[in-house]
Amino acid sequence: MLRRTLLASAAAVLATAGLASGAQAQTLVMWGPEQITEPLIAELWNGLKADFEAANPGVTVEFMPPTGTISNGAVQSAIQSNAGPDVILTNSGIARVTTVVDAKLVAPLTAAYAERGWDKQIYPWLYAELQRQRGGEIYEVPDGLDALGVWYHKDMFAANGWTMPATYAEFLDLLGKIKDKGIMPIAIGPRTAGSAGHLFGNMLQSASGSEAVGKAVSGELSWTDPSMVGGAVRLRELVDKGYIDKEMAALDLDGAARLWFNKRAALFVAGPWFTANARKAEYDLANAGYAPMPSDLGPGKPTGGVGWSWLVPANSKQPELAMKWIDFILSDAVMKKRAENAASTMIYPRALDGVNPPTAILGDIFAAAAAGVGYNPSVYLPASVVDTYFQVIQGIISAQISGEDAMAQIEAKMAEVK
Amino acid sequence: MSRRRSELPAFAALLPALLLILGPFLWLLMSSLKSEAEIGQANPFALPKAPMWQNYADAWQIGGFGDLLVNSLFNLAGVVLLTLITCAPAGYVFAKLKFPGREWVFYLVIIGLTIPVQAIVIPLYQVLFNLGLINSLAGITLAQVSNGIPFGIFLMRSFFAGVPDELVEAARIDGASHTQILGRVMLPLATPALQALVIISALSTWNDFFLPLVILISPEVQTLPLGLVRFASTYSTDFRLVFSGTVITFLPVIILYILTQRRFTEGLTQGALKG
Amino acid sequence: MATRLTTAARRGIARPKVAHRARRAGREALTSAIPLLLPALAIYALFSLLPIFLTFWLSFTDSRGLNTSASFVGLSNYGRAAADPIVWQSLVHTFQWLLGHLLMAGGLGLILALAVSRLRLTRVVFRTAFFLPHLVSLAVVGVIWANIYDPFYGLLNTALDRLGLGALSQGWLSDPLLVLFSVNVASSWQGFGLYMLLFIAGLQNIDHSLYEAAEIDGANGWQQLWYVTLPGLAEVMTFVVSLAMINGLKGFATVFVMTNGGPFYQSELITTYIYRLAFSMQDHGLAAVLCVLLSTLAIGITVVFNHWRGRLAR
Repeated sequence: MLRRTLLASAAAVLATAGLASGAQAQTLVMWGPEQITEPLIAELWNGLKADFEAANPGVTVEFMPPTGTISNGAVQSAIQSNAGPDVILTNSGIARVTTVVDAKLVAPLTAAYAERGWDKQIYPWLYAELQRQRGGEIYEVPDGLDALGVWYHKDMFAANGWTMPATYAEFLDLLGKIKDKGIMPIAIGPRTAGSAGHLFGNMLQSASGSEAVGKAVSGELSWTDPSMVGGAVRLRELVDKGYIDKEMAALDLDGAARLWFNKRAALFVAGPWFTANARKAEYDLANAGYAPMPSDLGPGKPTGGVGWSWLVPANSKQPELAMKWIDFILSDAVMKKRAENAASTMIYPRALDGVNPPTAILGDIFAAAAAGVGYNPSVYLPASVVDTYFQVIQGIISAQISGEDAMAQIEAKMAEVK
Repeated sequence: MSRRRSELPAFAALLPALLLILGPFLWLLMSSLKSEAEIGQANPFALPKAPMWQNYADAWQIGGFGDLLVNSLFNLAGVVLLTLITCAPAGYVFAKLKFPGREWVFYLVIIGLTIPVQAIVIPLYQVLFNLGLINSLAGITLAQVSNGIPFGIFLMRSFFAGVPDELVEAARIDGASHTQILGRVMLPLATPALQALVIISALSTWNDFFLPLVILISPEVQTLPLGLVRFASTYSTDFRLVFSGTVITFLPVIILYILTQRRFTEGLTQGALKG
Repeated sequence: MATRLTTAARRGIARPKVAHRARRAGREALTSAIPLLLPALAIYALFSLLPIFLTFWLSFTDSRGLNTSASFVGLSNYGRAAADPIVWQSLVHTFQWLLGHLLMAGGLGLILALAVSRLRLTRVVFRTAFFLPHLVSLAVVGVIWANIYDPFYGLLNTALDRLGLGALSQGWLSDPLLVLFSVNVASSWQGFGLYMLLFIAGLQNIDHSLYEAAEIDGANGWQQLWYVTLPGLAEVMTFVVSLAMINGLKGFATVFVMTNGGPFYQSELITTYIYRLAFSMQDHGLAAVLCVLLSTLAIGITVVFNHWRGRLAR
């Protein structure tokens, strides 16, 4: 018995050694995705891993559960440590990507876009946007887009005869009716920095239009310009009228989402990823409705931007394999598989034909975002401004400062950057 | 006099305090047995409908707690051992040897007691990086030992200062070197203080979240507190796993403390107060 | 006894050359000290002192993070710090936090120590149970207490409602005037246990006969507390106060987890601001200035306190 075990292990050692010395054996270490250890997500990604390994004999893909994002320095320290990843999937946006580009931690991918045809595999407007951001040099491949809009309960709206209105005045009117019913009109969790920005970005675009917001985030338009301050002033009005409870200033996204899932609150501003929260809360997604924030400037559209991107670290030990992996991710088969999977929680970076989203609401969001999305300033503002941006939103929601004050503080930070 | 009086009044007064102070633990235990939807319904006083022991198995499995536990134990053993080896002799020197510049060296050590590690983490990362110690248990262990050295030396110095000088002088006359005095006379006397040092360094290492977050990147070197991060993504958190994982993380500490509490109290107070 | 005589005799003989001998003894002590100190100092110098000095250097540069080129900018970061209202606000908050920690964690530790010391049969049970919160890491304390303070679903507001005290329910973490206090309560819940143990030990060291004497003089319970117990605790008290001040100054984790300095900077401490400056805003120069400020404060407080303690002892 013992002898047989010994022999077997000797054979195993030999086999491993033989494999290791073969020129084919390579490992691709991938940072991400978030919650890779969660069964539903693990199932999808282990499937992708198996497909990729089958197509590339001798290659092993290894997942690294992320300890954070670029915003809290986790990605930077992961790249710096030489045990770091070969390819990275993380929360992106121009501010975050700028941080790692400035630190010379990620490789430019501009040439790969042309050589591998990636430029034709993402929305043209998205490619143009990426080219515009950094003088033509591109460092990321978008994996998913955010599309932030207003979520509501279909049954609650039907029971009360409410509908999502077209104009802001009607929207205010609706909020009043909801409050009269003893329901909190809007839930928000500004302690989760991103979440504070979701509602605020919606308000800014509704009041000023996406073109103005685009100019403001790139510094071409002052935040204190009369055409910009409207959204901030309106947010403070919502607080003063009691449509947003001041005590929500202390909530994080989970705390606020609870109010919505339990139907103590009627409206919530979120993106497609909210389906994952709903699934965990056992909320019936068939009851969820989604609409862009009403605006007087014409039909509304979601705000958003690049939410998640692929990056290749400058010190990647497998740069060629990383490119192959991105090719694989951008392929029709993988895109479709991910878009139809129950773990799917985002907008994909190009139009996908004949896809059956796992939930109806994702279909609604895909449709709302088909014509493009506006700007979610959180992901476009420079890193040194974005902290102030989140703080002043908390300031408005806790009724400590006026909309005008808030915009003045953001503008002061923008001026420092210029 | 008060000491002979019945202990009933004090007992009655302390009981509500006990409930208030242990309340958060009860809430945590109860929440750790709820389903995610029950936690979301968020009635803090509701008992779990059917206790979800599964949460504990899931947290263990999904968080990969088995490997994390082994790493945490190695990390802890390393920190405790190095802390003892470094702090006991240094504490003895600062308490019993008079040499020129002693005060200044001691102040330099005490500075470390007052500076939070968050304040120096970026240069610390650079130092570790240049030594090839990022993403390694050796690196985190050295950083944590260094972080604990000021308090360790302070504690040991206080204890040794309380030992009569005559003991040292007598041994000196007998021709013993300071190393011998430390090994044969002082350390046996210092058992309670050493125990306190062991427990304090073990506790802070076990619970350390910040340094591992910055230094330990690959899953195969991570420690227990980082397991909890795996239950959260940018926009959603599995609270049932965070809660049960938290209980898993601190259960060993609580059991260890209850088993050793008498010695711990003794060592801490002798170490700190006899100085 | 014999030893003491011998040393005294030796000292007496050596008196004429005392200065010379002291110098030689000092050198001898130094030679024995070096090998014993070396392990501790080597690790400490490399992983604590060096980063501290590097931080000092960073405060004179415009560093924006890893791998970016940093140039010397003189005192400009110090000028920016002085002009930044959030720095001043966080400085005030840090002092409020420190004082709150001292009073709440230290005070609770003292009160519970006094009460627990009156117990006999159940003393160990209470002492052990009251220490349990200290075993929980501050990050976890933050998660637990954020749930307790939740305005709509939290344990605290729900309990107040059930008790018919709904009027007292608050936005514990959203009210600008309450937030720092609320987080401090959570932090003190974790911190008081250590202070309590120290006070209990101090109480055990008080000579029983003092109480008997006070009893004979007709002192009541309060008078005994005031004239016997508290003076007897003076030594422990100074130790606890210095420990609590250092811990207070280092407060970070609970604020970081529960509010991250918000809402709108109302719970910003110097430490949390440093962290966000360095990690979110990539402003390492300004962050380093605040590190220098914090270290200076810590050393200043320690020196002043030790001086005061020394004068008190005399």
